[in-house]
Amino acid sequence: MGLLTRSTETAPCEVTISHRFEELSAHVKFLNGAVVNPGDSVMVHGAEIMAPYGEIVSEERTATITRASWLEQQWTRWTGDFEFMELCEFSFSEEVLS
Amino acid sequence: MNKPSHSAFAKTAEEALAAQDALDAEPMTSEMATEVAMQNTLLTPRFYTTDFDEMDAIDVTPVRDDWDTLIAQMKADPNNGHFKKNEDWDSVDWDGMEPKLKAEFIDFLISSCTAEFSGCVLYKEMKRRGSNSDITTLFQLMARDEARHAGFINDALREAGIRVNLGFLTQKKKYTYFRPKFIYYATYLSEKIGYARYITIFRHLEANPEHRFHPIFKWFREWCNDEFSHGEAFALLMKTDPKLTESFTNKLWIKFFLTAVYSTMWVRDHQRPVFHDALGVDTTWYGQEVFRKTSEISKQVFPFTLDIDHPRWVPMLNKMEAASRQVAKGKEEGGIGGTATRVVGMAKAAYCFISLLTIPAVHHKVPESTRLEPAY
Repeated sequence: MGLLTRSTETAPCEVTISHRFEELSAHVKFLNGAVVNPGDSVMVHGAEIMAPYGEIVSEERTATITRASWLEQQWTRWTGDFEFMELCEFSFSEEVLS
Repeated sequence: MNKPSHSAFAKTAEEALAAQDALDAEPMTSEMATEVAMQNTLLTPRFYTTDFDEMDAIDVTPVRDDWDTLIAQMKADPNNGHFKKNEDWDSVDWDGMEPKLKAEFIDFLISSCTAEFSGCVLYKEMKRRGSNSDITTLFQLMARDEARHAGFINDALREAGIRVNLGFLTQKKKYTYFRPKFIYYATYLSEKIGYARYITIFRHLEANPEHRFHPIFKWFREWCNDEFSHGEAFALLMKTDPKLTESFTNKLWIKFFLTAVYSTMWVRDHQRPVFHDALGVDTTWYGQEVFRKTSEISKQVFPFTLDIDHPRWVPMLNKMEAASRQVAKGKEEGGIGGTATRVVGMAKAAYCFISLLTIPAVHHKVPESTRLEPAY
């Protein structure tokens, strides 16, 4: 890991979406055991994925993981905690109605 | 594959129609037409990492009996049959709803859905990364509940003609970091305050059913019992290590979290006046009532509560709300003038926050055993 430089790697992943009455969820799982660390970014390639209502879909895709620099990782470790408000139902969300 | 192959995958109505045209053979069903006509709302959950090794090392032995009882209760899943639409789900006249109320209520549903969704992502990640079976079992059960709640809200949104868009999945997303102890404080509080919010509305509507303008409120009691038991689990986790709630620094953090969560709730709720009017709820009364319940519950694990009857408390919360409006106004105006308005607003908000934070807390003795049952 560089002090100031980022590096990238690709990883196969599985995206699973449940778009059902009894469960709305979406998860990305790396198939090669890659682990995401503070400050890293993940980009799943390909078209947008969405399960039709009432269904679960699972697709294998490729993801690019951009590894944070050492400095960025430290910064995220120190400041990330302040984003906790997102977990509250009354948090300020950035949703936009299109 | 760049073009959506099914209308349900499409981002816009045009795309959906194009996808539909491509499938000439299939006539448009009413279901598809509904899908096409829906408005999109983008969910924007956050993604977290934490120190998974530290979490994995948690030993629940000191609270084993309470822990096993709680997990058994969650596994039995008493709410399994609750989240179903039955005859109590009256039809909703969305078109007849006053537009302002509709907008605020939908905003309420979307932020609730986002919070449940974010909780689910966080819990599932912990389940996946951990190897300590006590901890992974707990997170798996909590992820189940959150996904179920999100599905239920999603259905209510769909009735209102709004479709959630999970476009974030294929967008670049940055992972932030949460120290394990902050996960305990923040999720404990968000679950318990969630319980207090829902049960307060539920009881109020029980007494004043004429204000129940949507059937979803009838589900709030059992729903918030899930939140309550999630909070119980975090209380037990905090009990495994006395330092988490007793050391000087950690006490400061707890006070910070309490103040931040309470004041954000106040500001946010006061910005939904029409929604609270329709419920027949005075927002200031509601805020104080929710704080009172949350404080009473949190005595199970935190060694102090905030002094919400202090003469500075309500006035400072109101000033903070005014400052937050000023920030929003500055943002809207833009330019140099707007930036100045915004910066002054932020300074005012920071001043209010510090003023709230420095109100002396009310101390008490924490009980030996933490376990509580929902009693409101």
